[in-house]
Amino acid sequence: MNPLIDYHYAQTRRQFFQGAGLNLGGIALASIMGERALGAAVSKSQVHPPLTGYPQFAPKAKRLIYLHMNGAPSQLDLFDYKPELQKFYDKDLPDSVRNGQRITGMTSGQARFPVAPSIFKFSQCGKNGMWMSELVPHIHEIADEMALIRSVHTEAINHDPACTFVMTGSEVPGKPSLGSWISYGLGSESNDLPSFVVLTPNFPSSGNAQALFTRMWSSGFLPTKHSGVALRAVGDPVLYVKNPPGVDPSDRRTMLDALNKLNQQNFERFGDPETQTRIAQYEMAFRMQTSVPELADLSGESKTTLDMYGPDVSRPGSFTQSALLARRLLERGTRVVQILHRGWDQHGGLPVNIAAQCKDTEQACAALVKDLKQRGLLEDTLVVWGGEFGRTVYSQGTLTKDNYGRDHHPRNFCMWMAGAGVKGGTTYGETDDFSYNIVKDGVHLNELNATILHLMGINHSAFSYKFQGLDQRLTGVEEVKVVKGILA
Amino acid sequence: MNRLFTIFAYLFVISLFSLQAATKDKVSFNRDVRPILSDNCFACHGIDSKHRKADLRLDVMEGALKANEDGAVAIKPGDIKASSLWQRIITTDEDDLMPPPDSHKKLSAEQREILKRWIEQGAEYQAHWSFITPKTPAVPPIQNPPSEIRNPLDAFVLERLAEEGLQQNAQADKESLIRRVTFDLTGLPPTLAEVDAFLADAAPQAYEAVVDRLLKSPRYGEHMARYWLDLARYGDTHGLHLDNERSMWPYRDWVVKAFNDNLHFDDFTRWQLAGDLMPNATVDQKIASGFNRCNVTTSEGGSINEEFVFRYAVDRTSTAVEVWMGLTAGCAVCHDHKFDPLSQREFYSLYAFFNSAADPAMDGNILLTAPTLRLATAEQDKQIAGFDASIVTTEVKIRDAIAKMSYIDPATITPPPPVQTSEVVWFDDGFPAGVKVEVAGAPTSIITKEQGPVFSGTTALKRTAIDVAQDYFVSGASFDIPPNGKISTYCYIDPASPPKAIMVQYHVEGWNHRAVWGEEGAIPFGKVRTPEKVQMGGLPKAGEWVKLEVATEKLGLKPGMKVTGYAFTQFGGTVHWDRMSINSSVDPAKDPQWSWKIWAEKNQGKRVEGLPNELLTLVRGKKPSEWSVAETRQLQDWWFENEYQGARSIVEGSRGEKLAIISKKKALEEMIPATLIMADMPKDRESFVMIRGQYNKPGDKVSRGTPAAFPPLPKRDHYTRLDLADWLVAPEHPLTSRVTVNRFWQQFFGIGLVKTSSDFGSQGTPPSHPELLDWLSSNFRESGWDVKALVKLMVSSSTYRQGTKASPELLAKDPENRLYARGPRFRLDAEVLRDNALFVSNLLNPTIGGKGVRPYQPPNIWEPVGFGGSNTRNYVQDKGDGLYRRSLYTFLKRTAPPPFMATFDAPNREQPCTRRERSNTPLQALQLMNDIQHFEAARNLAQRMLLEGGASSADRITWAWRNVTSRKPSESELAIVQETFNQHLVKYQANVEAANLAVSYGESKRDEKLNASELAAYTMVANLLLNLDETVTKN
Repeated sequence: MNPLIDYHYAQTRRQFFQGAGLNLGGIALASIMGERALGAAVSKSQVHPPLTGYPQFAPKAKRLIYLHMNGAPSQLDLFDYKPELQKFYDKDLPDSVRNGQRITGMTSGQARFPVAPSIFKFSQCGKNGMWMSELVPHIHEIADEMALIRSVHTEAINHDPACTFVMTGSEVPGKPSLGSWISYGLGSESNDLPSFVVLTPNFPSSGNAQALFTRMWSSGFLPTKHSGVALRAVGDPVLYVKNPPGVDPSDRRTMLDALNKLNQQNFERFGDPETQTRIAQYEMAFRMQTSVPELADLSGESKTTLDMYGPDVSRPGSFTQSALLARRLLERGTRVVQILHRGWDQHGGLPVNIAAQCKDTEQACAALVKDLKQRGLLEDTLVVWGGEFGRTVYSQGTLTKDNYGRDHHPRNFCMWMAGAGVKGGTTYGETDDFSYNIVKDGVHLNELNATILHLMGINHSAFSYKFQGLDQRLTGVEEVKVVKGILA
Repeated sequence: MNRLFTIFAYLFVISLFSLQAATKDKVSFNRDVRPILSDNCFACHGIDSKHRKADLRLDVMEGALKANEDGAVAIKPGDIKASSLWQRIITTDEDDLMPPPDSHKKLSAEQREILKRWIEQGAEYQAHWSFITPKTPAVPPIQNPPSEIRNPLDAFVLERLAEEGLQQNAQADKESLIRRVTFDLTGLPPTLAEVDAFLADAAPQAYEAVVDRLLKSPRYGEHMARYWLDLARYGDTHGLHLDNERSMWPYRDWVVKAFNDNLHFDDFTRWQLAGDLMPNATVDQKIASGFNRCNVTTSEGGSINEEFVFRYAVDRTSTAVEVWMGLTAGCAVCHDHKFDPLSQREFYSLYAFFNSAADPAMDGNILLTAPTLRLATAEQDKQIAGFDASIVTTEVKIRDAIAKMSYIDPATITPPPPVQTSEVVWFDDGFPAGVKVEVAGAPTSIITKEQGPVFSGTTALKRTAIDVAQDYFVSGASFDIPPNGKISTYCYIDPASPPKAIMVQYHVEGWNHRAVWGEEGAIPFGKVRTPEKVQMGGLPKAGEWVKLEVATEKLGLKPGMKVTGYAFTQFGGTVHWDRMSINSSVDPAKDPQWSWKIWAEKNQGKRVEGLPNELLTLVRGKKPSEWSVAETRQLQDWWFENEYQGARSIVEGSRGEKLAIISKKKALEEMIPATLIMADMPKDRESFVMIRGQYNKPGDKVSRGTPAAFPPLPKRDHYTRLDLADWLVAPEHPLTSRVTVNRFWQQFFGIGLVKTSSDFGSQGTPPSHPELLDWLSSNFRESGWDVKALVKLMVSSSTYRQGTKASPELLAKDPENRLYARGPRFRLDAEVLRDNALFVSNLLNPTIGGKGVRPYQPPNIWEPVGFGGSNTRNYVQDKGDGLYRRSLYTFLKRTAPPPFMATFDAPNREQPCTRRERSNTPLQALQLMNDIQHFEAARNLAQRMLLEGGASSADRITWAWRNVTSRKPSESELAIVQETFNQHLVKYQANVEAANLAVSYGESKRDEKLNASELAAYTMVANLLLNLDETVTKN
């Protein structure tokens, strides 16, 4: 961390401890009673302060939910409607379309590239007639909130580098993730939950789903406190949040009261501001022991809400429950929530598997947007949905009337955004009749990330961190533009 | 709050400024000017010719003084008015302003002032400081030093402090000192006996004696290795995609040994960069070359080979440049470096040293991706040779027996011989009589029909598990594998509690035959997709008896083999097992194991497992009609020996011997460790400048060479990595020695003399004490790169030995302790925190080296991220000693590193890490309070308090306090802890149930003689003491 900020942070905290005229027992008591009891003095001791001057301008979005569909969902079977393709069933993809583009080692040996039209029906939804397939019936209902981008493109052709790219803006591991950047810039309002939370729900296919990597939510060269905190479905929701067996909160309180007194004496001996920070962090840890279980307790949710998310909402670790937890996190001040759902890598047996994937997620995606809207949160919350690349129009492996597979395709794929600052009902970007090349309004992932930062009140080109002698940015060294066409 | 901020900002600026120019009137280009120009100007006006604007270069004097088309010069020495650079900085016209507004760069008033004074003073350029070979500066004479000068290092520090009007703190008390230096040299705290001995030793050299003792401890090498492994990006998995296990730990152990043996840093460098190329390379030198194999690799389906060969070479180049030269080479992959004299061409000339590596683009997801080194002992090699000789003997016997045999192919007989069938029961109602049933998990339970489902007979086997559990035997009964065998087993899965996976496995001279249903990676044994682990399908339907049938052939169980054990295995859930039997049915006229003709027809064109290579090629490539007589004879001999059932009684004895020897040999081979090493391909790969850093866009061809800004390589026709290593440690190299001493300084003092320890280029921060850095690096080099001598010099200095108290004034002036008016104080690293807890609680297992271990880890760290087929998807925690080894030996899965590491800022080792963060977060607090390994350590420390700490609570608390801080508590501290203890004791006496829970957390057994309530109360006290700021901090 910038030593100045660290130092300043320690100073204000000391000011707070002394100036507020409270001894440590008082702080401890206040902690039990909850932060608000202390009133205005506390708001100055923000645990996740923003960078000075951030946001750089009035943000449209104050919070972000990023729904990452890991493995790469097929744009051809969900959002990129290509009615003309039916005529090309099992015909070879014209060379003029492929145009010598590189393809992966998995299909480069294939004798031919037979076109596989989607077997799913498409229909128009919302006031502007956005095309979507029958696989996502609930998402049909939120078309008027969505900006659908059909022309996103990336650089990597394989999962590991592409996942690393979509989340960190670089194929090479070691860069900070989007959520970490935002946490670094904007901090968060919550003093008893992390500012950036990650959920990795279960997924239907039990087979060889692609892997996730902690680097997809790690802070890279940014201070590690900006790493995403994985909220877990098995065991403690936050690591070690539970006291050991036989230790109850009052025992912990007894121990902490002594710890604070002893640490305060230690501070007086050595004068190290880190000691003061440590006292505050132990207090936050204690608050998290209450706030985290409270977060995961859904008993206060109405039946209507639970029904809207769907039956899986009561199953711990389901995507559905994760979506509801995401909303609860945002309500409690978390800045960024990222849900990473696995299992979208359909090289074969695509129709059956993608249907299962959609069934596992799409109702909850739509419910989340509707739920945010009815609570008035959607106007300053940004929701983003998408994978790491797209899939090929030609079939990988044998093509039959009702079965096919699709290989990786980084040249174009679909993502959608909804909420704060997004022009609802927009369809943006166009691909050719084979969904193989972009013909209009391409959006590079760096541009998409620049747009997300823009909506959150950050100028991506001025948002940098000095590392290895360079002003490192999420959006890379080349100039990129914000995608104005999807902004309200 | 804003005003407060301004005040502190002001204080900070003052202090930063004082580190730089304030005390000296003459502006120094390197210290004061270059950082400003580099950060604000060089991106467009530096060495990168492709992106240079207005054809103006400011990084060299010739560029700055050259007139442009209009006759204007950027800098006219001594003349502000005629210097367009100055005019462009102060203009108010946005179109002319430099740096341009859209660069988001802005010069501060102080920076402008420095540039102005520099031009006025004559605009003198200097080569970048770190590219000039250091000379040994004279040690400054200090008159009447305010504190003791123990070695020249102190003189340099005091000179600077005097300029700042500061003095050093008094030396730390002896207790702090021994604790500090013991942590710094071994990563562990001192024992009470060591503290007492030091306190009792009044000799003036008492401290030096402690340092000498610590430098000789094997713990020293373990601790020093830890820092190096961050640089080497060491991990126990490949790092990308499947992230499967890789065997690299002999390299890790070598690093430990190298530090303990005090291998001098020049050889340490040569061995790691080019150990494979050293003349008559020793085993250690080859292991050391594994440094270049520690990079992350992939085997992701569909990856493009050329791309990854390129990436690995780039990674190795950038890593070497960062580790030894402290420069960031990454930029020059795509374009000329914007700030430092490293052109893209020069980068690829360095890359050419690494671009001929012999390792494949795809790691194959295997443990040992070639090239590797087998590390057999002489004894093991002798045993292997013995096995080989015995195999030859048995083969002779087999051949003789076959030669005597007469054979008529049943397929040629009319009418054909009759079909034969058989069944042998292996399990029904229970295991075979006379076998010793063993378990992993709870004791074996055989249940009756009243107790649950039974398939046949009167009883069945039932097991409930939380992770991997099994019932098995390995001796006491044996079963023959018949031809065409099918083993069937009945299984009933409890629908209320299904397992993740179930497995049957068979023992033939080892457990190498397994069939699995359910999740492939759940049960971690065996190599997936080989007969060692055959995936049969999903879990069988729950709630009914299902017959599971496996063809013996599929599991690699050959007719004639003797099964001497089997196991029922499951991961979690409740499973019932019953009736296992083997069936066979043989029609000799149609059976490839009776009819040679049928076998030859059936296998032609196929890859027949078990055939020696040349025969395999023959069968695959040619039809039987094309086989020569001799070839047919050879094949038939093989068939008689290995396939033909009629020959079983004739060859079985010798063949059984042979198979037994082969499997013993295999078992021994598997025990022999191996490690990835570096080697080049026989013929060099050509290297090119890759346009914009793209693997498929080669530009100009380049040959091996080093950047022009540095001393040249000796003239030679062909250079190797060994030349590169020699060049790095040549006496005139300006960087290696500086970068290395700076990293050691950072290790002991928290921040390097050059704060950006991975960037000594013009974007890095200049050294706080340039003369000291140069003195240390010359001294280090002249000592023959003696690391222990350097370490001793640093920790023996008065500067290191100061007390750490910081007054608010000092803190405001020097918040980061860059001036060393106080001793180093910062939080202990991840590994040290855990090792400390294990050490003071007597849990630590001191074994050095070996394969990575798997200590306590919460569930679901690996599982939610792991690839389905990965062999590191499921974390199976060790039992016993593996839980308590030093953290250095924890298995490091790179895509999901252990939380105790990640939470405390340890890197995930995907890239080299020169300097760890040192964060202070609530998640750390939660871990230190609640993690099972810390709470178990607290309980064991509590137990020691009761057994070793004296009779009264005051004695016991004092004893424990001394153990964790090395000092006695003050009266007030003792009173606070005692009061807390009393509160806990009252609670746990009232609630014995809670006390029992608190003292049974963790695998270690508690001393049952101790009162649970008392132990629980002391456990909470120990938990408190292990969380003290002082305990978790190097002080």
